[in-house]
Amino acid sequence: MENSNKLSQFSRRFSPTEIKGLLPMADVARAFLDGNDFPTTRVERFKYTRLTKLANAQFASSNIALPSDYHKHQICSDAFAIFNVNGKVFLPDTNLPEGLHIHLISSEKSLPTSTVKDVFAGMNVLYAQSGVCVHVAKNRVIDRVIEIIHVCTDSFAGFSRNHLSIAENAQVKVLLTFVSEQTKECFSHVHTSIQVGRQAHLNVEKVQMESSDMFSFSDEEIWQEADSVFQINTLTLDGNLVRNDLHIQVQGEHAETHLNGMYMLNGQKHVANYTTVDHQVPNCESHELYKGIMDDKSVAVFNGKVFVRKDAQITNAYQSNANVLISDEASVNSKPELEIYADDVKCSHGSTTGQLDDEAIFYLRARGLSEKSAKQLMLTAFMSDVLDKITIPAVRVKVFKTINERFNWELEL
Amino acid sequence: MAGYTENELAQDLENQEYKFGFVTDIEADTVPIGLNEDIIRLISKKKDEPEWLLEYRLKAFAIWKEMTEPEWAHVYYQKPDFQGIAYYSAPKQTKKYESWDDVDPEMKETMKKLGISMEEQQRLTGVAVDFVMDSVSVATSFKEKLGELGVIFCSFSDAVQNHPELVRKHMGSVVPMADNFYAALNAAVFTDGSFCYIPKGVRCPMELSTYFRINAGGTGQFERTLVVADEGAYVSYLEGCTAPQRDENQLHAAVVELIAMDHAEIKYSTVQNWYPGDKEGKGGVFNFVTKRGMCHTRAKISWTQVETGSAVTWKYPSCILKGDHSIGEFYSVAVTNNYQQADTGTKMIHLGKNTKSTIISKGISAGKSQNSYRGLVQINKSAQNARNFSQCDSLLMTDECGAHTFPYIECKNPTAKIEHEATTSKIGEDQLFYCMQRGISEEKAISLIVNGYCKEVLNQLPMEFAVEAQKLLAISLEGSVG
Repeated sequence: MENSNKLSQFSRRFSPTEIKGLLPMADVARAFLDGNDFPTTRVERFKYTRLTKLANAQFASSNIALPSDYHKHQICSDAFAIFNVNGKVFLPDTNLPEGLHIHLISSEKSLPTSTVKDVFAGMNVLYAQSGVCVHVAKNRVIDRVIEIIHVCTDSFAGFSRNHLSIAENAQVKVLLTFVSEQTKECFSHVHTSIQVGRQAHLNVEKVQMESSDMFSFSDEEIWQEADSVFQINTLTLDGNLVRNDLHIQVQGEHAETHLNGMYMLNGQKHVANYTTVDHQVPNCESHELYKGIMDDKSVAVFNGKVFVRKDAQITNAYQSNANVLISDEASVNSKPELEIYADDVKCSHGSTTGQLDDEAIFYLRARGLSEKSAKQLMLTAFMSDVLDKITIPAVRVKVFKTINERFNWELEL
Repeated sequence: MAGYTENELAQDLENQEYKFGFVTDIEADTVPIGLNEDIIRLISKKKDEPEWLLEYRLKAFAIWKEMTEPEWAHVYYQKPDFQGIAYYSAPKQTKKYESWDDVDPEMKETMKKLGISMEEQQRLTGVAVDFVMDSVSVATSFKEKLGELGVIFCSFSDAVQNHPELVRKHMGSVVPMADNFYAALNAAVFTDGSFCYIPKGVRCPMELSTYFRINAGGTGQFERTLVVADEGAYVSYLEGCTAPQRDENQLHAAVVELIAMDHAEIKYSTVQNWYPGDKEGKGGVFNFVTKRGMCHTRAKISWTQVETGSAVTWKYPSCILKGDHSIGEFYSVAVTNNYQQADTGTKMIHLGKNTKSTIISKGISAGKSQNSYRGLVQINKSAQNARNFSQCDSLLMTDECGAHTFPYIECKNPTAKIEHEATTSKIGEDQLFYCMQRGISEEKAISLIVNGYCKEVLNQLPMEFAVEAQKLLAISLEGSVG
């Protein structure tokens, strides 16, 4: 009884969504919430994530004054910038090129039906306040980055919903930036549905640098059509509790999917990456690479699932997760899963956890490097294959700068 | 000459019948169907058990009543009706045999069909067999020879009568009665099993072996095995299973506990070939087993299993690496065919410093079967310099079967080194081509590749067992493996 109050207390502060496209999903979402509490660690999806802190956190009940200088959080200076500040969306004020349409999600008539996996996804369907829709028309190549910056301040709590649709043969790069500025606890849940059309190329960079009081949840659900190429890089650099749920439905043949992730946390922070690649058709390939460096008492969770349906012959799916623990009290929980119902496939996964090799450090030190430089060199080398996948130069600069500040390094690009 | 294709192989696999399906017609002494406190008291009384064991059973039963069946495994089946099972069945002739000649000839015939003619084994291989037929031991050989060394190898009920202090001390210490649903059920109603104690510093001179067999219709088997290797001792223990063909599902919920004291080593090998159901997926044994070993300082426990039978398997032989420098190993080949479902793997719990574990798991799925590996590697804070290596490979033989991998890797110590890798594929056309190009027929090539694929695990089996394991693989995947 006590517990069931926690979730209803939490959800009571949100008003029902006014996004029309979400209404058809409301029944499914409500079924997830009815009589349910915050999931405990006995629930498989939350086995390693304790939500007690979130359940007991205090959030603002009414509107919060917007900060005036939110523009400073933009990473890519020449991007079409869309700001979502405490649930209030600001569209770019410049002229958009032909074939690129950006508007508020509330004016979108229908949205793809998303998979509701837990109470948070359910609440997003019911309570999403705002968000943005980006459409790229057929055959258009957008050469400037589209950056969606989510800013949370004070004790904001809210749900947002974005939709990206990339039409046939179009190409675009999208940057999702997550930041917060506050001294109090904040909660944000952002769902992004992404449709990648035939032969389209979409590159998403996701940079999470929220402060250490932030409960940051985000779901991305992707539908990929034939011959499309989709890459997402999830870069988690900060945040109290960060949970990423990536669900990719590969629905067209010869599609290519790349999922990369890097997480680097300290303090008592927690990052959980849940990924599902659902191969529904033959002749596709997916590559997944997640790497993490965990310091202090931080906790990382990786749960990657590759699902190969019965008809998805000639699927090549690779999954890899590597972790380095650089403190005595950090911990890692890794669960790479394969669920395969087709026989003509090549699927593999690997997972490693360890610390820096003493002998390698000794080797470098014997050649005159200080202990700090030796470690810096090895950790950079460890991360480099993920960092090399970043396609937007400004993001690379930002990531290196953050890492340098964190470890007091002088790393150069 | 027509080549032997993979499709033909798949066809052969589907058509093949269970070779060991026969019922031995021996009058059995069965208690009424159902489960309640009275039945438990009756079982305990029939076995002439001491009061503490009855209390243990009743306590476990009370716990079991509060528990629900686990549903997390990747298997789907009609849940057994726990009130529709006879919980005790013993062959009528309760008198112990003085010599091998006294044994019922029909039972000897059964063993012959299993390919373990006792006389031959006694003479040729030096294996002591504790043959369990429907819950009661009927023959134990080499007892004297083992007795000289102080090795105790007997049925569980004999151990309760003759060595109550050892049983009481160790029983439930590795698998507590409240561990899980089936372990609790076993603790409440277990009928018999094997007990083995190797005294300090003794290296058991022969492989100890038990053949389990499910016989009388509608009898669930609830075996309990306890193996204790005292300081510096060594034992290699073999367990093998076959079951007669039957249409209703049979439940088997065994508990196996291994205790390796300081510097001891236990090698536990299993060949499991219970009735897997027919090719429509009708019938077959439910195999819900809890196996766990406790390793003290510098001890080693090695699990090797070849799983080819059962309709539904739910089995995770585990090691608790409690002592510093202890070692846990798990080698497994799991073959599923037709509608068989297997969810099997291991748990390696690292608690001590410098503990090491190795996991090699090979799955082969054919027909419409589902084969899952589920494993846990847990490195706790205290486990400095722990080391784990896991490798899980799956081989898919048809396009209707499934192979799944669910590894859980939890690391709380930065000095640990954990590696996990898994692959899923079918027999590569390039591999087949390579063999055939060198004049090997397709059938032989497939056989060669499957054999090579399992070699790492089969090599771990004791020689006597390796022969049978290869036979079983051959029967399970007939037409391809020789």
